[in-house]
Amino acid sequence: MSAIIEVEHLTKKYGSKRGITDVSFSVEEGEAFGFLGPNGAGKTTTMRLLMALLRSDAGSARIAGLDCWQQAVEIKRLIGYVPGEPSFDPGMTGGQILAYFAHLRGSVDQAYLKQLIQRLEFDPSRKFRQYSTGNKRKLVLIQAFMHRPKVLFLDEPTNGLDPLNQQEFARLVQEAQAKGSTVFLSSHILSEVEQLCTRVGIIREGQIVRVGGVNEVKDIKRHVLTITFANVVPVAAFEQLEGVSRVEALADGHTLQVEIRGQADPVVKAAAAFPVLSVSSHEPSLEDIFLRFYEGDGLAKKETSDVVH
Amino acid sequence: MWFTSVFMKTLREFRWALVGWGLGMGLLMMLVLMAFPSLVTTPAAKASLVSVGQSFAWLAAPVRLDTAGGYVMYKYGLLLELISIWSLLACSRILRGEEERGSMDVLLAQPRSRRRVALEKLAAFWAAQALIALIIALLAYAGGVEVNAGYSLGDSLILGLDVVLLCGFFGSLALFISQFSVDRGVATGLTGALLVVFIVLDMIHRGFPNTDWISQLSPVYYFNVNKPLIPGFSPNYGALLVLLVLNIVFGGFGFWLFLRRDVGGIVRLPAFLRQLARPANPARALPLKAWSFRSLYARGLAMALRPTLWWTLGIAGLAAFMVEIAVQTQTNLKTLYESSPILKSMFEASGGGSSDFVAKILSTLFIFMPVLLMAFATTQASRWTGDEEDGRQDLILATPHSRLNVLLARFGALTTSTVFIGLVTMAATSLTAMTAGVSLDQGKLVAATLSIIPLGLLMAALGYLLGGWLRTAIETGLLSFLLVIWFFLSFVGPGLNLPENTLRLSPFYYYGNPILDGLPIWNMLGLLAVALLALALAAWRFTRKDIAR
Repeated sequence: MSAIIEVEHLTKKYGSKRGITDVSFSVEEGEAFGFLGPNGAGKTTTMRLLMALLRSDAGSARIAGLDCWQQAVEIKRLIGYVPGEPSFDPGMTGGQILAYFAHLRGSVDQAYLKQLIQRLEFDPSRKFRQYSTGNKRKLVLIQAFMHRPKVLFLDEPTNGLDPLNQQEFARLVQEAQAKGSTVFLSSHILSEVEQLCTRVGIIREGQIVRVGGVNEVKDIKRHVLTITFANVVPVAAFEQLEGVSRVEALADGHTLQVEIRGQADPVVKAAAAFPVLSVSSHEPSLEDIFLRFYEGDGLAKKETSDVVH
Repeated sequence: MWFTSVFMKTLREFRWALVGWGLGMGLLMMLVLMAFPSLVTTPAAKASLVSVGQSFAWLAAPVRLDTAGGYVMYKYGLLLELISIWSLLACSRILRGEEERGSMDVLLAQPRSRRRVALEKLAAFWAAQALIALIIALLAYAGGVEVNAGYSLGDSLILGLDVVLLCGFFGSLALFISQFSVDRGVATGLTGALLVVFIVLDMIHRGFPNTDWISQLSPVYYFNVNKPLIPGFSPNYGALLVLLVLNIVFGGFGFWLFLRRDVGGIVRLPAFLRQLARPANPARALPLKAWSFRSLYARGLAMALRPTLWWTLGIAGLAAFMVEIAVQTQTNLKTLYESSPILKSMFEASGGGSSDFVAKILSTLFIFMPVLLMAFATTQASRWTGDEEDGRQDLILATPHSRLNVLLARFGALTTSTVFIGLVTMAATSLTAMTAGVSLDQGKLVAATLSIIPLGLLMAALGYLLGGWLRTAIETGLLSFLLVIWFFLSFVGPGLNLPENTLRLSPFYYYGNPILDGLPIWNMLGLLAVALLALALAAWRFTRKDIAR
């Protein structure tokens, strides 16, 4: 496989405000790549730069070997795009909008278009202004998939979709991927990324902090052991153990929750010194991993306590 | 301070209007008042001023034109009426506009009743409207004091009250209409159209005898009844009361309806006024064969279609009306001057009775044609900028079309609309001249109507250019400001003896008097060249800029 999306040292500033800085990553052809980050991290800026809606200040971005800015028209023949905040002429019906985009794109299979409308249970007869957030999302999803693009750029694609339609969306992505399409999925819904993507890039404050396989990202996980003892056990007996990052005694003092980075061996051995009733372990979800990237260095700012009278 | 209440926040939104309309219009009146003595330095000049005023009685009643107050009321009464444009825009925005954007939901989720939110918003509108009128009244008073115009501060304040009541009426009307449509634009468009209709209705009784009853149907008539800046003119409280009642009826009813309907919904019209609800036809739900979705240009045309038709109706209709007015003015003057052998000889000496005389009157009226077309171009250019600002270009630019294509297709559609308006105006003017039995020079009439096209294109190109950097509201404000300044330079500048080089700054200068002088071909080519240059710069900018959100 070769890289179909190549981003190198991409930088964008909004005057004195931060956009993204020195962002580099690549996405292989046929891959589903998840782009994660909290609000304002730079996900949409990156995607808009790839879509040539913004012009970079430095660095380069290429799709299928074509420069995103210089060869934008050629690139757009290959891609389908779901913007983060879909907007269109409020007086046009969904059907009119789809007809318009079908003409602008050319060579859209009408049968497939109608099939997409059916699968997402979309009503094309209503005006854009009358659609709910979820229906607007369905509309832009249909226009992104209708020409069977080689690359899909999806910015928060399931915002406002109900669970059934989220599942249908997942199936659409999987089908597209099975046919060789590349998916670039920006989201902060980590379970969605976990389900659909094979690799993940995490962006924080405009900078890429990690790129890796979904499993690889999980390797930095922390285990949480929940141990219930017959008696009250001193927390101090576990706090100083190698790899233990946090120990918390639950209400009755019989149960400890021990968060471990790395091997559980020292904790298991220390617990063996007390009468153990039960032991359970759970692995952190991608959400937990994701949150870890934003804690501990002052990023999870406390809310100010100003009160407006 | 500004964000402490709904009232203050809404008032803050009107701050630029206060500066633009209040100071702009007030300073204009003050300047004209101060320049008045230079217009009547000799008895002959004074007599000439009065005589010219009679020729344009259809525009405004020429009462005591030999006084500063009479002159300024005659010359700027119409401009004061145009402040209503701000009022109708503001009133269709404060409630329906917020509902359209979805921000009303958030506002009404706060622990404030719907009644209080609406009242605070309306109070902010009335406060802003009153401040605009107060600024105008005070500046008019200052100008009057400077030239000893002979009216008091109280008279100026009555003028302000008259302005508040008229403009407030159009605001209230927009508020009322906006209860029946989910689209703010419908309320704006309909009220704007009614403003034009009411202005024209008011003009009728001054152009045609025994038609007072028609003009009395227009609220503008009751505004014009009061001329408080004319020394010795007693206020007509009855007319003020009529305007007040109209405000209370439409504003009050609009407010009452807002309290009772769904937020984001509409008041259901009686069945006989409602469009029949047609069940959605699945075959039509996806109109893949419709012409208007086949290309960027076709879509641009479809988007401009409805406004183009309305503006065509307005511009071509007004052009035809002006021809009719010119003929009628000549008839009226002829009747008047025939009562005196001396006046009759003067009338004949000035060309009265000939088609040239009608052409002379028409040439002065025709300055409104390019103004209107440029106003149309401004609205369409603003729409282009607004589309980008609201994110409506994102999906279009995600299709395989270059930015240059997208811009040129849309500008091409606007050019087509502009040419269409020019051509229909030409046809309407020629037909009216023929039916009125005036043998105007057809070539010059064609020149006068078609020469408005380059001016429209110039405005559109400037709008596209400014839209490359500015937000829609600022761009629209700046274009409107330019339009007013240019109009001021060409319409008032010669009266103020402004230097020729200053007058040349206005595109209207290059429009000239085509009805009298024929097509100013080089001027038109020059304007087209400037429009092309502006368009080229706009394209250069659009192909390089970040698409705004």
